[in-house]
Parts: sequence; C-alpha cells; structure tokens
Amino acid sequence: MTIIAQRPGPSAARPYRFPDVVRRSVAGGEIVAAHLPGHRLAVATLLLDAGAGREPVGREGLAGVLAKALEEGTETRDSAAYALVLEGLGTELSLSADWDSFRVGVQVSTDRLGAAVELLTEAVRTPRLDPSDVERVRDDEATALRMYWANPGPRAEAALRADLFGADQRHGRPMGGDPESVAAVTVADVVDFHSAWFTRPGTLLVAGDLDLIDLDALGVAAFAGATGSPSQPGPPLPVTLRDHRRIILVDRPGAVQSTLRLGHPAPHRAHPDYVPMTLASTVLGGAFTSRLNHLIREVRGYTYGIRSDFGMSRRFGRFAVSSSVQTGVTAPALIDSVGEVSRTQADGVTEEELAVARSWRAGQLSVELQTPPAIASALATLVVHGLPDDYHARLRDELLSATVEQVSAAAATHLQAEGLTLVVEGDAAKIRDELTASGLGELHDAD
Amino acid sequence: MAPAGTRPARCGRPGPRSDNVGRMSPNGYPWPIETTRLDNGLRVVVSPDSSAPVVAVNLWYDVGSRHEPAGRTGFAHLFEHLMFEGSVNVAKTEHMKLVQGAGGSLNATTNPDRTNYFETVPAEHLALALWLEADRMGGLVPALTQETLDNQREVVKNERRQRYDNVPYGDAWLRLLPLLYPPGHPYHHATIGSMDDLNAADLATFQAFHEMYYAPNNAVLTVVGDTDADEVFSLADKYFGGIAARVDIPPAPDGRTPAPLAGPVTETVTADVPAARHYLTYRTHPFGTPAYDVATVLGTVLGSGRGSRLYQRLADGARIAQPDYLGAYGVDLAHAPAPLIITATAQPTVTAERLADGLIEVLDEVARDGVTDGEVDRAKALLTTGWWRQVASFEGRADTLGRYATQFGDPARAGDRLPGWQAVTTEAVNDEAVRLLRPDNRVQLSYLPEGDQ
Repeated sequence: MTIIAQRPGPSAARPYRFPDVVRRSVAGGEIVAAHLPGHRLAVATLLLDAGAGREPVGREGLAGVLAKALEEGTETRDSAAYALVLEGLGTELSLSADWDSFRVGVQVSTDRLGAAVELLTEAVRTPRLDPSDVERVRDDEATALRMYWANPGPRAEAALRADLFGADQRHGRPMGGDPESVAAVTVADVVDFHSAWFTRPGTLLVAGDLDLIDLDALGVAAFAGATGSPSQPGPPLPVTLRDHRRIILVDRPGAVQSTLRLGHPAPHRAHPDYVPMTLASTVLGGAFTSRLNHLIREVRGYTYGIRSDFGMSRRFGRFAVSSSVQTGVTAPALIDSVGEVSRTQADGVTEEELAVARSWRAGQLSVELQTPPAIASALATLVVHGLPDDYHARLRDELLSATVEQVSAAAATHLQAEGLTLVVEGDAAKIRDELTASGLGELHDAD
Repeated sequence: MAPAGTRPARCGRPGPRSDNVGRMSPNGYPWPIETTRLDNGLRVVVSPDSSAPVVAVNLWYDVGSRHEPAGRTGFAHLFEHLMFEGSVNVAKTEHMKLVQGAGGSLNATTNPDRTNYFETVPAEHLALALWLEADRMGGLVPALTQETLDNQREVVKNERRQRYDNVPYGDAWLRLLPLLYPPGHPYHHATIGSMDDLNAADLATFQAFHEMYYAPNNAVLTVVGDTDADEVFSLADKYFGGIAARVDIPPAPDGRTPAPLAGPVTETVTADVPAARHYLTYRTHPFGTPAYDVATVLGTVLGSGRGSRLYQRLADGARIAQPDYLGAYGVDLAHAPAPLIITATAQPTVTAERLADGLIEVLDEVARDGVTDGEVDRAKALLTTGWWRQVASFEGRADTLGRYATQFGDPARAGDRLPGWQAVTTEAVNDEAVRLLRPDNRVQLSYLPEGDQ
C-alpha cells in the first residue's frame, strides 16, 4: 500500500468568463439574456419590481398571496386547465418574492420555452383573481405559514428583525409575513398590488442556448399590453446600531436545541465595502472552515453547524449569526460566538485565512454559475442592483485582490460585537437562568 | 455532512435526506463517457465537457446503512463525518480548507444504499481533489483519533436533534422504515442510526469498518467537466493506484424479496405538530427496474404538481388537504422494493379521519378506474424536465454516472432512465396501480396534534 504524500499544486488556471450577456429592448420591456450553448434546459424569468419592500406595513406576505392567486386561473382558463397545459409542457411556475423583486420563472426544454413564456405571461398579466379564490389562497398561505412557524427559527428571526429595525417598519417585519399579517390581507389588497406592480413591463431574464431561442418573440409575449414605467426604490436607509448587547428569549417549551440568531444592522448591497465585508464574514462564519464553525462545531461539538453572513438588499442590510445548539450548552455557545465576532472585529483577519476566503469566493463564481437556473439568478442580480454586464468578472478580480488591511478594516467598521442582539429560541425553563448569568446582556422575553 | 439551509422545505418529505438523488446513450445522457478500471479494482468514469472551467469529482462507495448489522447502526453515516477529519497526509480540518481554498464546493451524503463524497473545483485543482480523496481512502485509519471520534459523535447527535427531533414530523422517515421493512432487513433501520450504538463502539471498531469497506474495488470515481479521459486516468492511477484492494468485502444482507407486508400497517403518533398529517406508503420495486419506472410515473401522476390527481381532488377539489404539503414521490433505493410515499396535511377544520378517507378514496379510484393518457403525458413531461435539470450541472452528472456505475455496473445506463420513463404506457400505470395501491401493501403513519382526539 502506497499513497502519495506530496500534495499536488494547481495546473494552469483556465480563464474565467461569464456567458455573453445580450440586452434588448422589445415591446416596451427589457430583455437580459445569457448565451449557454449546448444546454437543453432553458430558463425564462419575469422580474418585477414588486418585492416585499413594496408591501404596505400590516400586510406583510401580500406578495406571497398574490403569487398563489396567479395560479388560480386566468381570464381565459380556469386553474385546472392552466395547470394541465403548463405541466403538459413539463414545467411549473416558479414564484418567489424577496425584498427587492418578484420573480416568475419557468425551466423547460428549449423547444418549449416560447409556449411556456406565453403561459407565464398569461398568469402574470391576466390573472382571474376571483375574490373567492383570492380569499381561499390567502387562507391557505396563512395556514402554510402557521406550519412553517411551528418549526424552530421563524419566531427567532422575527424577534431579531423587529429588534434591529423596529416592528413598525416594513423591513422590521418578516420578509414573507407571518400568519397574522397574511390573514389580514384582503381581496382589494391583492387586486391593488397587482394593478400597481404587475402591469409594468419589468425585465425578462433568459438563460439558455440563444441560437435556438427567439428573444424578440419572447419579449413580445412577455410585454404585450404592459404599461407604466419603473419606480425608484428609494435611498438606502441609515444604519442605526445599539451601543449595548441584549438577549431576547423566545420560549419553545420542550425544545432539545436552542436556536440562535445573533445580529445587528449593516449596510445595503451597493455599499462600496461589499467585497471586503463579504470576505470578512467568510472568514468569520461564511465557510465550513470559518472561525465560528471551527470552534463551535469542530472543537466544541455543540452544533451541527453555525454560519454568519451579511444579508444585503437595495435599501438595508443586516449581519447575522445562525445556529442550533444543544440546550445544555446554550450559554457557552453564545459566549464563544460573541467572542469570535468580537475577536474578528478587534483583530481583523490573517493572511492565511483570507487566502482561503478569497479563492473560495472567487472559485465559487465558476463553480456555481454553470447551469441555466444559476445564470438566470446571476442576471437578476445585475438587474436588481443596476450592475454592468462584466460585473461577475470584475467581482472575481476584486475578491482576489482584496488585502488583509482592507478586510480587517471592513470587519472593524461593519461588525459590532457590543451592539449585537442575541435571540435565543429554546426551552426557557431550562436556559433562562444561565442566560441571565452569562453577562452577555440584559434578558428580555419576546412579545 | 454540512448542514442545509435554515428554512425547512415546505413539502415536509421524509426520506434519506442526504440523498438527492464509453458508448453514447441515444437519449438521456448525450455527453461522452469513458471508463477504465485500475488494477486494484477502482472503476474510473470520465465525462468531459469544457463548457465551464470546473470539474466535478464524485466517489460512490458501495457501503450504506444497509450494510450495518444490529448494534452497529449509524456507522456508515458517522464515517461520512470522520472522512473530513484528517488522514495520513491531511491534517484535521485541512480537507475542507484545501478544497475551499481552491475555490471548490464539497459535501458528502449517506443513505441506506451507499455513501458518496463530492467536490466541484476549478479545473486546475483536479489533482488536488483526487489526492485528497485518495488520502482518505487509503490513509484514514492511522489518523483517526479518539478525540476526533468523540467530537464527531457529538456533531452527529446534534445533526439528529436538528433534523429529526426538534422539528415537527421530523422523525417520519425514522418511523416509516421499521414499519415497511422487517427486522433484519437491510432497510429496517434509518441511516442516522442509534446514538446508543454509536456510543457503545470503540475506536478499533470504527477503524475496522473503514478497512472493511473503504477499498478501491468497492468504489467508483467519476469526474465530469473541463478535463479529458487521459488526464483523469493518469491522475487516478498516480494517486489511487497504490491503494490495495480488499478481497473479502462482505455483501449486505439480501433484501430484494422481503415477506409481503400483510398490511394495512398503521402507526399513529400524537405529538406537538401544527396539523394532522398522513404518510401512506407502499412498497414498490427496486430503483432501476422497468417496474420502478412505472411506479415513478404513477407517483408523478398522483402527486407532482397542481395538475396531479391528488392536488386536483384534495387540494383544489374537496379542499381538505393543504396545497403546499401534498405530494407523492418514490425514494430511489436500489437494493429492495423502494417506498412510494404519499403525504397530505389536513386543512385546519378537517379531521385526520376525513383526510385519510379522502386519500384512500382517490387511491382506490385510481386503482379501480385507472388514469388517463393526458395524466400520464403530463407526468412524463415533468419527469423529462426534471431529468434535464438533474444533469444540467457537472455535479449532477457526476453523481448520476457514479450511481449507475455502482448500482448497475455501467455508467452509460444513466442514459436509459429517461427513455425508460418515456416508454411507460397508461396501461402499465393502471396495472401497477392495481398491484401496488392495495391495503395489504400499505403502511400508514399518521401524526395528530396534541389535544386533538
């Protein structure tokens, strides 16, 4: 038995390139497409400026209700007929809303893309929105959210968000709403949201073998009858930090783990420190080899996993650490986690750690951006944040050239260990006393 | 190995969650495949494609929880963890650091059938990936310490808490397996295994487990991406060629013909769950057989998409099932009749009994009256797109080729699955529905919310 002891080095690096991006104005709308020769699967996504950020306060989750209502039939087809004709093409609508956008997509074999986009458009532009259907799917969505909220996590995240941004602010409430806010959605809310945001052309994203795809025909189908112009999203919101830590306890009687969500507000996506912030959070908790996972999982054995990241949208952002730890080590896990945030803020990163983070983030661009769905998602990033076509190639260079000084400075500026809100969702009867005694901050019970 | 995202999937499906699942095939795999076998028995599969500057490397080891005897459950899965903790030339945690430092993604999964390890890296790091895999195939045991074993046992216990114990309905798969397969059957116990078994074993027992199964002649190495067969064969020979074959690897118990179920078998769990839910489960056929293709189409007719029979009847029609938590799917296990799982969750005002009656009514109707050509065509169209999605990425292709090489002896058979589905006739689906959807072939697991009757 012999194995080679000498670790091999890399061979010559292949050049990185993002697929050619084609932009075209058709029928009053914009198409942004990427050419992926040889792929049999094609993706088309209609991107609308109708994300959670457009929802009125108190109606959080409205976009999700409308998403469901879009599948309840169109002006020309009832819901069953619509489902059968669309699924007969081998596809389903993929509907999602985040803070900044609403997306309706299809993934289908290239020769059926045109027919699928016509059906997609039919649902988006001419939904039936029958009041009884809207009320029923509203109730279904509230029920589905109640199911989701029975899991550990959503309540902790809501408590964190409310504490960071204020429960009277849209972005201080859960992105997808909660069971109560969804239950409050009315038929008029849904109809109004549709007419305000779903009648504008939006942007059609296409990823696939463009030699076999008629983009103009797709654009004509997607934008026919659409009216209105883009609406400005508003400026970035100020980042307001606490000057002391606090603990918020969310009771989950009988839980065998404590769910941890630690965080504080952070800058928006277009902030000039985006790259060094991303690298700092990668070193801290963004990769398996990061400081947090190494200590809390690999050394202590407290958890199956722990991570941190900056979540950033057009107008705001937040830093968060997420994990689940066994109940008996809740306080020690929190102390260790805060300690790693604090250490990273105070002392920055090392060249050895940064080298891994840089190459990992840069390499991930080529590893992840292979398939039509992944490329379509990258196109959405370009459109939502107004980025140039060569953004991904430039991002790679920026990641690879970031210095220890830049990343450490971003950690010092954008991590705030002293201002963290520590949300713990767990068995209060078992953990309250040790949390109080931990010295990490004043303990509050969640509402 | 590494945790998934924090938001649970909405469909609440149980299953071996870690699973996703030469000659040119005329249909489902239109890329070249080249294979060789090293002198030590390692099979090497290469499928070149230079459309992205990366390579996906995937090792299927033919060892899963089906190989575990009573008292040693959970070993295969714990090993999946230990394989990241260092080997003779790779320090503890260095494996992750090297792959991520090369820009790569990596993970590993274990299911009843097999354990797989995979990474996708920029193509210039192919040799590194192969070196790392070879080092832990041939050099794990000397590096395995008591400290590492103890630490990863704790991580696995936390994995069990996070995935199964602390989540509503989280233990459904753990409960279904022993109902579906009798004691002694290789699928009787779940892959996560017994924490008592893990606690009871000493370091030497784990070392012996690795020496038994982690041998080149018990593995398939697949590389897909920006490379060619010559390069891969030569690197594979260099890094794996010196690892000795193991001649006496014991097979798992034969589970292909378990005694019939004598159902309906039922289990009712009263627990802290937000709504009543049923899992109606049927034993079908081993994955890879034409009969399983029919069962796959049947499952898709029943429970995939808004046009499916169950959605149309129970979510859209009677409105007794929650639309987001209704579905049917096969668990693609290859070494015994695989389960077809049909799951539904009650709307708030609907009783568990009403929902169970509704489900069985639909299934009885399908068995009695059959399904239409239109329903079968819809199912085949969805399966076809699903297939192309699976093989759109290099990682998906590598896993698929590794599966077919391991389970069916020839990676090119991957190309047969899509035509296999497409060849399924309505008549075959209807015959299969009659054979499968019988009460005596049914396991019903039901969850009732605490406080309800």
